[in-house]
Amino acid sequence: MSTSSADPTVDRGTSRPAAPRKGAAAGPRTARGSHPFARFVLVRLSVGLLLCLGITILAFVLTHSVPGDPVAANLGDRAQNDPAAVAAFKKKNGLDESLPSQYGTYLNNLLHGDMGTSQQTHRPVWDDLADRVPASLELALVAIVLALVIGVGLGIVAAVTRNRWPDRIIRVVSLAGVSMPVFWLAQVAFYLFSFKLGWIQAGGRLSPGAIPPQDITGLYTLDSLLTGDLGTFGEAFSRLVLPACVLAAFNIGVLTRFTRAAVLEALGNDYVRAARAKGLPEFTVVRRHVLRPALTSILTVAGLTFGGMLAGTVLVENVLSWPGLGQYAYKSALNLDLPSIMGVCLFVAVVYVVINLLVDLLYGVIDPRIRLS
Amino acid sequence: MQGNHPIGDSRRAKAVRRAAAPLAVTVAAALMLAACGGAKKQSGEAEGGGTLVVDTSFSLKTADPGRTFEPTGILVTRPVYDTLLTFAGGDVTKPVPLLAASYEAAPDAKTFTFPLRPEAKFSDGSPVTAKDVVFSFNRVKNLKGNPAFLLDGVTATAKDEHTVVLTTEAADPALPFRIATPALGVVNSKVVTAHGGTDAAGADQGDKAEQFLNTDSQGSGPYKITKYDVGTEVILTRNDNYWGAKPKYAKVVVRNVPANTQQLNVLSGESQISLDMSPDQAAKVKGQAQVLQQPTPTTAFLFSNDNPATSPITSNKDFQEAVRYGVDYKSLLDVAGAGSAQAAGIVPSFFTGALDPAKAIVRDIPRAKAALARAGLNNPSVDLYYASDVTINGINFGDLGARVQANLKEVGITINLKPAPTQTALDSYRNGTEAMGLWWWQADYPDASDYLAFTPGELVGLRAGWKKDANAEVSALAQQAKVATSDAERVQLYRQLQEAMNKTGPFIPLLQPAQVIAANNSVKNLHYNPIWYIDVDKLG
Amino acid sequence: MNATRLFLGDRLGADRTGTDDPAPRRKRRPGKSPWRSPLAITGIVIIGVFLIAAVLASVISPEDPLAQKWPKYQSPSGEHWFGTDQLGRDILSRVIHGTRISLPLALLLVVLAMVIGTVLGAVAGYFGGWIDMVVMRCADLVLAFPAIILAMAVVAALGPNLTNAVLAVVIVSWPTYARVVRGLVLTLRQSDFVQADRLLGASGWRVLAVDLRPNLAGPVAVLAALDLGNAVLLLSGLSFLGLGAQPPAAEWGAMVNAGSANFDAWWVAVFPGAAILLSVLAFNFLGDTLRDALDPRTARAIRK
Repeated sequence: MSTSSADPTVDRGTSRPAAPRKGAAAGPRTARGSHPFARFVLVRLSVGLLLCLGITILAFVLTHSVPGDPVAANLGDRAQNDPAAVAAFKKKNGLDESLPSQYGTYLNNLLHGDMGTSQQTHRPVWDDLADRVPASLELALVAIVLALVIGVGLGIVAAVTRNRWPDRIIRVVSLAGVSMPVFWLAQVAFYLFSFKLGWIQAGGRLSPGAIPPQDITGLYTLDSLLTGDLGTFGEAFSRLVLPACVLAAFNIGVLTRFTRAAVLEALGNDYVRAARAKGLPEFTVVRRHVLRPALTSILTVAGLTFGGMLAGTVLVENVLSWPGLGQYAYKSALNLDLPSIMGVCLFVAVVYVVINLLVDLLYGVIDPRIRLS
Repeated sequence: MQGNHPIGDSRRAKAVRRAAAPLAVTVAAALMLAACGGAKKQSGEAEGGGTLVVDTSFSLKTADPGRTFEPTGILVTRPVYDTLLTFAGGDVTKPVPLLAASYEAAPDAKTFTFPLRPEAKFSDGSPVTAKDVVFSFNRVKNLKGNPAFLLDGVTATAKDEHTVVLTTEAADPALPFRIATPALGVVNSKVVTAHGGTDAAGADQGDKAEQFLNTDSQGSGPYKITKYDVGTEVILTRNDNYWGAKPKYAKVVVRNVPANTQQLNVLSGESQISLDMSPDQAAKVKGQAQVLQQPTPTTAFLFSNDNPATSPITSNKDFQEAVRYGVDYKSLLDVAGAGSAQAAGIVPSFFTGALDPAKAIVRDIPRAKAALARAGLNNPSVDLYYASDVTINGINFGDLGARVQANLKEVGITINLKPAPTQTALDSYRNGTEAMGLWWWQADYPDASDYLAFTPGELVGLRAGWKKDANAEVSALAQQAKVATSDAERVQLYRQLQEAMNKTGPFIPLLQPAQVIAANNSVKNLHYNPIWYIDVDKLG
Repeated sequence: MNATRLFLGDRLGADRTGTDDPAPRRKRRPGKSPWRSPLAITGIVIIGVFLIAAVLASVISPEDPLAQKWPKYQSPSGEHWFGTDQLGRDILSRVIHGTRISLPLALLLVVLAMVIGTVLGAVAGYFGGWIDMVVMRCADLVLAFPAIILAMAVVAALGPNLTNAVLAVVIVSWPTYARVVRGLVLTLRQSDFVQADRLLGASGWRVLAVDLRPNLAGPVAVLAALDLGNAVLLLSGLSFLGLGAQPPAAEWGAMVNAGSANFDAWWVAVFPGAAILLSVLAFNFLGDTLRDALDPRTARAIRK
C-alpha cells in the first residue's frame, strides 16, 4: 500500500462506519475455518446482534436517567394527584416493577414480537413504526436518488475538469451543501416555495382526507403507481419534492465530493492510461474505465448515506411536518415515551447493522482479498 | 483500490448497469408524472363542498371518551359522543340540555335528575338509555384515567329506562358544568361491552375497548369517527342515524398541521379552519379570511414559592408584592398578541365568578421597589422554572420568561431562567421545589370551582408551597365558595376569594392567551367554544 | 446526523486524493501554497470577520442584544438592519453576539472530541485485545445510535443548556476520531521505525507518544478542522430543537427556531441562519485547504 505513513487514507475502513478492514484484521483468525466467508458472515451477524442488544441497554438506561417521570407526561394535573390513577397507570405500563425486571420484561416481550405500547399514541409501537417508517423511507429514497443523480453528475464533471473553473465552482457548491444548516434550509425553502410562491403544498403526504393508495409497500408514490392511480401519485410526489430536496442537499455535497475523488483515483489507474494510449476517445475512456469501477464504491457510500438518512430526518420532518420516523422519534423523546424511544432506537440500529453487513458482503464479493486476507 | 483486476471490472460494470437502469426509468417517470399531479390538485380543490378540513396542531392520544383529556381529543369526541348537558355556542356560563331533555338539581345540590330524550339514538340505531349513561359514567370512574376526577364523589343510577339520577357526597353545585365535558359523553354500552369494554372496578387494567373505539366510535352524536390516525388526521363522517338536526358537512377532516402551515392552508383554501395561528399570523390573514380572536380559558401565571424551606427569598411576602407590582402586564400582552387579556384573577374572564378586569393589578414600579426595600433584599437573584418546549396559543414560554426577566430587572430583581423539557419541569413543579415558576392552567371544566386548586393546601397551592394553614382568610373563603349554591352568592364569594389571593397569595396571574380561529369565508356560523374550540356540527 | 459522521469519515477516507490531482500527469505549479487559493482566502476572511465580531461584540453591535426596547417584528430598516424579533430585540446585535456562543463552543467541542477520540483510538489500535474490543464496541454503539436522539437523550437527562449540548455532541463525535486513529495506528504499528523502536525496548506508551503521535497529528488536525463546521451545525441544530442555548441567549440556532413561529417575519430566521451557513462554510473552506496542505499525496505531487 502507500509508503506514506501519515496518509490518513491507509485504513480504507475509515471511509465508512463499518470498516471492511476490521473484517480483514479479523481475517487471519477466522480464515482458519473451512469456510472463511461463511464464518465472516456469521461473525458479523453475531456482532450485529450484540450491537442491537447493546443499543436496547443504552436506550433503556438513558431514558430512565432522565429526571422526568412518564407519569407526569401522561397524566394530567388532576389524575396526577390521585394515587389510584397513578397506580393504575404504572401497573398498566409495567412501571411499578424494578428497572432490571422492566428491562427483562421488555426483552422477553421483544422476543415474542411485542415492542410494547406507545404511551403517547396508545398503540402498539410496532404499528406506529409500520406507519412511520414507510413515510421516512419514501422521503429518504427520493432524496438519495436526487443526491445520486446530481451528486454523481457534478462529481464526474468536477473530476474531468479538475482544477479548472467548473471544478472550482462545483467545489464551492458541494462545500455549501455540506455546510447547510438543514433546519434553516427547510424553513427558507418552505417560506419561498410554499409561502411566497405557493408552488408546493406542504404538510402531510397527501391532501387532507385523501385516501392513501392500497398498502403494498407503504410508499405512497410507488403504491399509487402499482395500482395505476396517477392522480394520487402526482399528489404524493408533489408533496414529497420539497422535503426530499432539502434532505438531499447535504448528501449532494457528500456524494459530489466522494464521486470526484473516486473518479480521480480511477483516472490515475494504469489501465486508464493504457486505454488512452490505445487512442480511445476520452469520453469512452471515462465511461468505460473510470465510471464503472468508481460507481461501485459510490453506490456503497450512497447505501450508507441512505442508512444515515433514515435516522437523520429528525430536523427535516419536524420543520416540514412530514409524518415519518424522525418526527415520531422527536415526539417520543419529548414525551419520555419509553417504549417508542426503544422501538425507534432498535429499528435504527437494525438498519445500521444490516446495511453495514450488506456493504461488508459486497466488498467481500468484489474484492476477495478482504475476506481471504 | 490500486491494482484493479480487469475481470472483476467487467463484472462490476454489469452489476452497475443493472442497478442503474430501473433507477433512471423511475426518475424519468416520476418527473413526467409530477405535472399530472399538479393538474389533479387543482381539480381537487373545487370539489370541497361536503368536506370540512380543520387544521390543528395535534395534542391527541385517544378518541375513547372515557380516556379523553387532550384538546384535540376533546375536539373530535365532542361531536361524536353526546353528553347529558352541553354549552350552547360560546356561552359556558350556563349548561343546557342535550341528551337530557332537561335537568333538575335538588336545593342541597346533592341530587341531580336527568330525564333522557326518548328520541336519542346511537349511531347503530339503538336507543340511548339510562343504562348506557350509567355504564359510561362508571367506566370513566373505573378507568382511573385523566377524566376520572370529573366524577369524584358522584354516583350514577338509572331511575328508570329514561331517567338518570346523579347523587354526590357533598354539595356539588358545579356538577352540571362538569357533566357538559366531552369526556362524559355517553357510549353504546352493549357494543362497547361486546368489544372488551367494562365499567366494573378494575376497568383500568381490564377494559380493552380503546382500540375499538378509536376506529369505530359508538356515540349518539351527529358524527362518527371513520378514520383515526393519531399522528396525521382524524376523519369524522356524518352519522345518518343522528336523532337531531343533520350537520351540513358530510365529512370533517381534522388534520395535524403545525401553526405556521395552517396560515398558508387557510389562505390557499386547502383547509377551511385553522385553530392554532398566533395573533401575529392572524393579523396577516385578516381581510382574506374570517378571524375570531379572544382570550382562552387558560391562565398563565407566575408563582413565588411560599415555602421558606424552598426559598427564603420567594416566600417573603414583600418580595411577592415586589414581583406582583414589578411585572409589566401590558408588555406581556404584547408578547401574547392581540386578543389576549390580562388575567385579573386566576379564574378566566368569561366564567361565572371571574374577577372584574378593573380590579386587575397594574404595574407600579415605586411600590415594587418599596416592597423590595421592606423585604430587606438587596438585588435578590431567583431561579424561574418553566417548560421550554411549550407553546400555548402562539406564546412561547421561553419568550414569556425572557419578558418577565426583563420586567423584573427594572425593579432590581434578577431572574435566572431555568428551562427544562415539559416532562422534567413538571416533575419539579408538581413536587413544589421551584422557587419561582411560570406555568399555565387550562380549565378542566368551565366553572370557578376548578380554581379552588390554587388555594392553600390544595393541588396547585401546594406546588407553590402554599400550605394548608398558610392563609386562614383565603381558606375560609374557598370553603364557603365551594358549597355555596346560589349563583349570586357564588359570584360574590369567588370574587372575594380572588381579591384576597391577589393581596397576599404566592400566585400572580399573568394573562389569558388569545385563541385565534381563522376560517375560510365560505364557513358560516362560526363561533368559539372555550372547551372544544368549535362546534363542527353547527357550521353552515 | 449519521450522514454527518459518515461524511466526515468520507472526507478523509474516500476523498483522500484531495482536491488536488492524484494523477501525476497534471502537476500543480510548484511553490503555490494552497493557502493562497481564493477558497482559503475567503475562508480566512470570513472567520477573521467572525472572530473580530466575537471579540468586539459589545463595541460594534449597535444595541444591547437582550434589550426588549422596540416594537416586535420590525422589518429590516436603516435603524435595525436585520429587523427586530418577537420580543422587539435588535437582530443584528443578536447575530453579532451569537459569534461569542457558537465559535468558542465549536472549538471547545472539537478539541474535546479530538482528544478523547484520539487517545481512545490510539490505545485501542496499539494495544489491541480486550481494550480494542471494548473501545471499538462502544464506538460502534454510539455510531449505531441515532445521533440526534442520543444527543436529545443526553441533554434531556442532564437538562437542556449549552454545556450539556456540548457534552452531548462530544459524546456522539468522538468515535469518528477513534476509528480513524485506530486505523492509522494499526498500520503504523507494522512500520519499520516502530518495529525498530520496539526492538530497542521502548514501552508501548513511549511508542505511542513518541513515534506515533507526530504521525497522527496531521490527519487528526485535518479531521478536526473539517469537524469544526459540523460542530457548529450540530450545536445549532440542538439549540434549534430547544435543547441547547436557552432564552434569552442570542444563539443562532435558537434564533432560527424563533423565526419559525411567524413566517411573515422572514428576517427573524434568515439572518441567524445565514450566519450559521457562512461560518460553517468558512470552516469547511479552511478544513479543505488544510487537508490540501497536509495531504502527503499532494505533497508528493508538489515535489515532483
